[in-house]
Amino acid sequence: MADTLLASITLDGAITFAKGYGLNFSFLKSAYERDMWLEGFRTTLVLIAVTIPVSLAGGILLAGCLTAKNRLLSLPARLFVELTRNTPTLVQLVCAFLGLNMLISDALGGAGRNPFGAFFWVVTVVGMHGAAYHAEALRAGIEAVPDTMREAARSLGFGRLEILRWVELPLALRIALPAIFNNLVNIVKLTTVASAVAVGEITYASIMIWTQRDIVVELMIVLLLFFSAINLALSQVGFWLERRLRTPGLGPTGQGL
Amino acid sequence: MTAVGMAATTLPAIPFPHPVGRPVAFCVAAVAAAWIALRPQSALALLDWSPHLLQGFAMNVLISASAIALGTLIGLILGVLELSSLRLLRLPAITYVQIFRNAPHLVLIFATTYALPFEIAVGGWHIAFPDWLKAVVGLAVPASAHIAEIARGAIQSIPAAQWEAAGSLGFSRLQTLRWIILPQGLRRSLPAWMNLYASIAMGSALASLVGVEELLHAATDASTAVRRTDFTIAVYLTVLVVFFAYCYPISRVTQRLERRFAV
Repeated sequence: MADTLLASITLDGAITFAKGYGLNFSFLKSAYERDMWLEGFRTTLVLIAVTIPVSLAGGILLAGCLTAKNRLLSLPARLFVELTRNTPTLVQLVCAFLGLNMLISDALGGAGRNPFGAFFWVVTVVGMHGAAYHAEALRAGIEAVPDTMREAARSLGFGRLEILRWVELPLALRIALPAIFNNLVNIVKLTTVASAVAVGEITYASIMIWTQRDIVVELMIVLLLFFSAINLALSQVGFWLERRLRTPGLGPTGQGL
Repeated sequence: MTAVGMAATTLPAIPFPHPVGRPVAFCVAAVAAAWIALRPQSALALLDWSPHLLQGFAMNVLISASAIALGTLIGLILGVLELSSLRLLRLPAITYVQIFRNAPHLVLIFATTYALPFEIAVGGWHIAFPDWLKAVVGLAVPASAHIAEIARGAIQSIPAAQWEAAGSLGFSRLQTLRWIILPQGLRRSLPAWMNLYASIAMGSALASLVGVEELLHAATDASTAVRRTDFTIAVYLTVLVVFFAYCYPISRVTQRLERRFAV
């Protein structure tokens, strides 16, 4: 009881405070719209938290295929990367959700039996889009690994996969780190396409409120700050990791210290 | 200026076929041929709809070209302001760039669509402000933020000694920027600028979500009118292929330029 009273006082206080600056946040008094909006924030964060690991795993897999000697592995990977990088994510999502998903539904006998929903396709499409960019960064990193290291590993009896896992990837990951965090920022921004297939993330929730109320500027300020905060935090983690994982003797010295 | 002109004339022609251009073209042709043979009716429907789709694609080109033009203009000014010695000019520019570089394109397109008026009154005249123009603004804002960073990076990549040398020859700061720094910076920032162009070109598909009649929207129109599963898949795949044909050559040229300018 006391808790809800306190919450309503602070909420009212915040709304009045914002009104002082000409910003109308009174929609927060409507429990329905408030819950939808808060759920939107939560969904966006979940979407980001799920998509980033998917993109990293996919990126490592694709990078392994791209640098493989076997053309049966490298050519399809190259095709996938170029196709993903040079077409709009929204179109990919529509193709997957309205095309692939429909085919799967038909094959399984009805949409009710299809285990994949809009959320799954957003994670898959945005995750693989990120993976294609990660893969390119990692490939460049792998190619930057000095040949002498590869030869040294081979002379120690390492196989192709072992060299990839223990020699090339650890070094490539460090070289590619700035690019990878750049890609993660892009992934965060790309999760907004989920609104196109009615996944209730924050853009979708805001659009729902925009269609009811004329408070575009208010919500946009919050949206921009929200995404700025996430991306700022991400790039800080990136800087921290870069410093922590820096290999002595590799790359530019005396930077970031 | 001469440096840029020379780069353009001595640039070797891009060898055709591209590394994946041929396999992609082959796959597309094979799938298309099989589909036409199996479902000639749907293929004819796609042919019927192709003028509408083409019109939609023209809108994508218009939106992306206008957005990049507007974004480049604003971004260049912002990039110079970011390096200004006056805090009053520098801080707002840096803030703008930081916020809009991190902002999702879709959010900005929705915001401009809902926030901007549908017409502007200028001294009794009412000028229409259509949705596609709002999408242009929505894409030009993040484009300008990215271009500001590209421009700042390019200007900073020129050795400081050149500023001093120009100063000793009697150039003012603005003259040095215009005649010595920018011509060199332009050349260095070309690959990054083209990457951004491809990204904005792909972003123009987002305009379909605010009701602009571009390619993806046209495909949805066609799919709802024809109502056949195989047609729906074919028309969306067509959209994918058209965008690929638009953006892949840009990315190839960018790669070539990057290799050329690499030290």
